[in-house]
Amino acid sequence: MRRTLVIALVVAVLLVLGFIYYALDPTASAVFPRCTFLSLTGYKCPGCGSQRAIHALLHGDVVGAFRYNALLLVAIPWIALCLYAEGQRIRNPRLYARLNAPLLIWLFLAILLLWWLLRNIFN
Amino acid sequence: MQYWINHNGVQHGPVDIDGMKELGLTSAAYVWHEGLADWVKITQLPELQGTYEMVEQAAEPVVARQSLEQQGAAVQQPQGYEQQAPSEPCPPTNLVWAIIATVLCCIPTGIVAIYFALKVSNKYREGDIEGAKRASETGAWWCIATIVLGILSLPLGFLMMSAGAA
Repeated sequence: MRRTLVIALVVAVLLVLGFIYYALDPTASAVFPRCTFLSLTGYKCPGCGSQRAIHALLHGDVVGAFRYNALLLVAIPWIALCLYAEGQRIRNPRLYARLNAPLLIWLFLAILLLWWLLRNIFN
Repeated sequence: MQYWINHNGVQHGPVDIDGMKELGLTSAAYVWHEGLADWVKITQLPELQGTYEMVEQAAEPVVARQSLEQQGAAVQQPQGYEQQAPSEPCPPTNLVWAIIATVLCCIPTGIVAIYFALKVSNKYREGDIEGAKRASETGAWWCIATIVLGILSLPLGFLMMSAGAA
């Protein structure tokens, strides 16, 4: 019962956010927050460009989304799978353990750090 | 059939069913025999009924289980018992939340949360359930901290933006 309520709430919030990010263009509108890390340091954080990437993706522009934040685009299917496994953690502990294997987490951490470094060097 | 028993932290065995009746076992005991993947509660093996007395469950089953695993691994390995991945499900690694927080919150502390996810996974593989649970909790706090900092820093981003525009 409580679980259903939480899921309904999350879906509602996602729908509202999805509508906002579909209707308004982050490159043209002032209502979207700018990355704090970028403002403070002048360097991009691993998440920079996510808002523009989501806007592009909601308009079907996969290439544009990739340009704004390649990591986000690549991570979306992975996140979806992990979220599913998270919901099934007790019922299907094997899937959860496989997705959370140390090797996979290491791999993601390495990709993340490399992505962070390279996007600041080559941009 | 020979059984190995762990009763309140004390190891017995190998003994057969008749031998077990003389040990004064209770339902809090764990047993293992050749062919079992992991230790089981004595109450789970129907053939052992009558070798133990029913008592209330021990207050700290997790701790009891853990010391059991350590002893079990040390004592049983020569008998061909290899330490298996614990049957208890893995504590939450919070990995998804750490990734989402890192990619969406503009605060790189999410990376620390990912590091703790790695720690949970590693400790779980080693059979250190308690350590995995501790790392899981710390990691959860790093996720929360990243999200809260991300939200708190929103006004800062606006300020910097208007300062830059002015």
